[in-house]
Amino acid sequence: MKKLLDNWLVQFLLFLCVLGLTAFITDAIGDVLPPYLLMIGLFIGINLIMALGLNLITGVTGQLSLGHAAFMSIGAYASAIATVNYHVPFLGGVLIGGLVACLFGIVIGFPTLRLTGDYLAIATLGFAEIVRVQFTNMKITNGAIGFLGIQGSTTFPIVMTIAVITLVLMVWLENSRNGRAMLAIREDEIASSAVGINTTLYKIQAFAIGAFCAGVGGALFAHTTTFIQPTDFGFMKSVDILSIVVLGGLGSIPGTIIGAIVLTAAPEILRPLANYRMMVYGVLLVIIMIFRPYGLLGGVNLRQAVRRAFMLTKKKQAGREE
Amino acid sequence: MSLLTLDNVTIRFGGLTAVDTVNLEVKQGEILALIGPNGAGKSTVFNLITSIYQPTEGKISLDGKALTGIPTHKIADMGITRTFQTIRLFPELSVLDNVKIGAHCRGKAGLFHAFTRLPSMKQEEAEMEENAIKALEFLDLAAKREDMAKNLSYGEQRRLEIARALVSKPKILLLDEPAAGMNPQEKVVLMEMIRRIRDTGITIFLVEHDMKLVMGISERIAVLDYGKLIAKGTPLEVRSNKAVIEAYLGSGEFKSRIRR
Ligand SMILES: Nc1ncnc2c1ncn2[C@@H]1O[C@H](COP(=O)(O)OP(=O)(O)OP(=O)(O)O)[C@@H](O)[C@H]1O
Ligand SMILES: [Mg+2]
Repeated sequence: MKKLLDNWLVQFLLFLCVLGLTAFITDAIGDVLPPYLLMIGLFIGINLIMALGLNLITGVTGQLSLGHAAFMSIGAYASAIATVNYHVPFLGGVLIGGLVACLFGIVIGFPTLRLTGDYLAIATLGFAEIVRVQFTNMKITNGAIGFLGIQGSTTFPIVMTIAVITLVLMVWLENSRNGRAMLAIREDEIASSAVGINTTLYKIQAFAIGAFCAGVGGALFAHTTTFIQPTDFGFMKSVDILSIVVLGGLGSIPGTIIGAIVLTAAPEILRPLANYRMMVYGVLLVIIMIFRPYGLLGGVNLRQAVRRAFMLTKKKQAGREE
Repeated sequence: MSLLTLDNVTIRFGGLTAVDTVNLEVKQGEILALIGPNGAGKSTVFNLITSIYQPTEGKISLDGKALTGIPTHKIADMGITRTFQTIRLFPELSVLDNVKIGAHCRGKAGLFHAFTRLPSMKQEEAEMEENAIKALEFLDLAAKREDMAKNLSYGEQRRLEIARALVSKPKILLLDEPAAGMNPQEKVVLMEMIRRIRDTGITIFLVEHDMKLVMGISERIAVLDYGKLIAKGTPLEVRSNKAVIEAYLGSGEFKSRIRR
């Protein structure tokens, strides 16, 4: 049984099954759930995709980025232009959104990733503002008025399937040579280069993949709202995505999932509070950070916990056999 | 035969000449110790060898290949790895992952492999894990492999740093004060481990203040003072060297001196 599961083809088919199942289940859920709840679910998925990207940059590789919304906007506009102006099919548009954002991630990464900590944060913040102002002044994006007439092609099953793909790829990446190099950079850059890790290369990889996720998220967003304008992608949007990652626990994929659910649903659940909504939301964030300063699942390594439990039971068994 | 050669190496930080025209050869298979008072420039020599600093003058070469100008991250692949005077582990990662990362330069898998998990990548992972566990067993840390590095004791952390440097099978291992903070028993064990590492064919170049350890395991000792190499030789020769006694030993006792 275990041998069979180790087979690549079996794993690949299993992966496809999971995707098919996701699409099927979410499709069924979509039929019964009221449209309002469905919309929340859809935004949870989009936020999750983007937050997983930022988690790779900030949580795994340790590079604080305050400009994630810029990559989202690049993906949103690129895909909208592709589908509206050039009649590219929806999924092609999503891919284009991701790729263009990724390209910008690489181009921006080269000069800025020499910076660390606060300096990098400010550089990414500056980049995001430049992008926003640029979109406000460009003709093809229809400037401040906003880009109208995008098809509402995004559906709940599509978002969830892409979210699951992102999730699986992120888990794989983290457990690979590249992922470990990224973790090492977060932990200690000098020690990383001493063991042969090209820190610039892996930082740019993380940035590129993170930007790709944001771009895909932006594309899905654009094709949900059907109308985008530069103010959708301001500093607060970057902070929203960062909050998901931080609240869930920097570097924790399960944490990012919980963060995406909680922080996307909370403002909606708090809607009856009307004017006090954002205040209560803020207080909630503060309380969580007081009780769980490393995030809801920060410092909890599920895989390690499982492995450890496994080793313990093995030891016990060995003890009994003696 | 000389493995690592420092040829007239000098580095200046502003007005301070931290390392001053040092000529030194590390021979294949030996245990060489670099000693000297605090601030003599010992760690700076290691930082020069690993390209963290570039020499102001002079050349460093490994097996005849110049190391000068080569970025730090390529040094490990060329066969030089190190530990740090102030421990630099990956504290929030498991002991096993720390050592696996040490083997980074021996791996080939890239993004494509990470995302496809083809059998070749799985095999590389399995080999990496096997080597990492071997290195951990060598340093008597295998039982702690799932612990977080930051939860190890000080002595264990020092040994983990050595395991991480060892797993890539370097030609030469640089140890910067490996015994610092260890208790006497741990030091004895460490000495034995260093000898065993050398016996696997790895050349050892170490900086150490503990004279018992230095005299006990080194075949040759080089003495640095104010950036200048003032003596080289066997432990016996160095112990009786006039310049060393004058500059460094005081009344026949090895004493540390804080540089003014
Ligand atoms: N990056 C740097 N910039 C300026 N000065 C430096 C730098 N690195 C080292 N120095 C100086 O060079 C001198 C040698 O330092 P080094 O750390 O090599 O000494 P050491 O022999 O390792 O001492 P210790 O036994 O205390 O570890 C010191 O005076 C130190 O202040
Ligand atoms: Mg030193």
